[in-house]
Amino acid sequence: MREFRFYLNRKETVVKAPPAYTLLETLRYVLRLTGTKEGCARGDCGECTVLLDGVPVHACLTLTSQVEGRSVVTIEGIERDHRLIKAFVEEGAVQCGHCTPGIVVAAYHLLREVPRPSEEEVREALRGNLCRCTGYVKIVRAVVKAAGE
Amino acid sequence: MSMQHLADVEVYTARSLREALELLSTGTRLKVVAGGTDLIVQLKSGALPKADLLDISRIDELRYIRFEDGVLRIGALTTFMEIYRSDLVRRHAPILSEAAFTVGSFQIMNKGTIGGNIVNASPAADSLPPLYALDAEIVIAGPRGERVVGIKDFYKGYKRLDLREDELVVEVRIKPPGDGYVGHFFKHGLRRGDAIAVVNGAVLIDLGDDGTVRDARIALGAVAPTVVRSPGAESLLIGSRLTKDVMRRAAEAVLKDISPIDDIRGSAAYRRELSVNYVFMTLYRIAREAGVSA
Repeated sequence: MREFRFYLNRKETVVKAPPAYTLLETLRYVLRLTGTKEGCARGDCGECTVLLDGVPVHACLTLTSQVEGRSVVTIEGIERDHRLIKAFVEEGAVQCGHCTPGIVVAAYHLLREVPRPSEEEVREALRGNLCRCTGYVKIVRAVVKAAGE
Repeated sequence: MSMQHLADVEVYTARSLREALELLSTGTRLKVVAGGTDLIVQLKSGALPKADLLDISRIDELRYIRFEDGVLRIGALTTFMEIYRSDLVRRHAPILSEAAFTVGSFQIMNKGTIGGNIVNASPAADSLPPLYALDAEIVIAGPRGERVVGIKDFYKGYKRLDLREDELVVEVRIKPPGDGYVGHFFKHGLRRGDAIAVVNGAVLIDLGDDGTVRDARIALGAVAPTVVRSPGAESLLIGSRLTKDVMRRAAEAVLKDISPIDDIRGSAAYRRELSVNYVFMTLYRIAREAGVSA
């Protein structure tokens, strides 16, 4: 166990965890922030996507010691009334919901980089996020809609 | 696949190259981790034995892309997103730029490093066919200073590297082959967005003004214990024009230079067929883009 200090959802946070626990394990089992989901735990599905120093990465492939002094934004760090979340609800872009947090985090980053992405740019940015329910159409539509608002 | 926790694994974090080399020279067996996109999966799945880790991902001095004295230099910790977005790489090594975009999802591109891709030494690594086609050099730092090894000599067999346990790969050097060269990276994965290659490769052609091939470099991945060049295909192309017949015979010639195996992603027979077809399609694309009637 070691103590790590980092910015979690813009708040300075201290956590005691084994250094080689993945960030996903530390978020879910130590900090009890369960919005970040575990899917494959091997970098294939994108469910555990968080922003590390502002860019999307897999929390399952990040060591807890690697976030020391850095910024981590999880789904809990995105405002509940954010236009993306509204658009996901309005477009019915959620079914079982397991992939949704990772997709919203990835899309949140896209909209900060590219305020008006094309459908193709949305699909490219989300190509690492698997959804087994929706077929992606409504997800893509929701992100494009949020960008227009 | 059952995943284990790494609660009992220690992580040492190096802040400089010197500190990393010192930690490696203490004789403690440390596994080096950078982006972690391959290593963490291998440790958690048990594919690699558990070991304490040396985290080099914070060594900012190894993160750069420079073009100096006609040589493109890429620091080992440069991520694939940085490589993909680099104008210098796009201008001087466009086939590497193409490969960087296919390495994985944006999440993987944001973490995975070129040094990690090289040292992980998967025969399916996407950065390697371009580096083979470009005759890249690997710069290695160790307790006795730096040494430089050509990429083909760096790989001695399946996951066997010319790299001692107290050494680190610190840089990739590419001497751009010249303005006349045109080429493309290709990859066949089971999923477009984020996949390990079933077959990948790079084709680089130097076309003379009269449409004759002056030089040809063809590298293939995931079809042998290491990435390989195809001297058979290359020699067939050099001195010829890119006619359909020449391209077909060159593509078929790669079969003598590869030795694929059956695995979870595809059979050896499938890989042989993919290799021929992709080399042909890539040559055809190059010929068309160069305005040579194919």
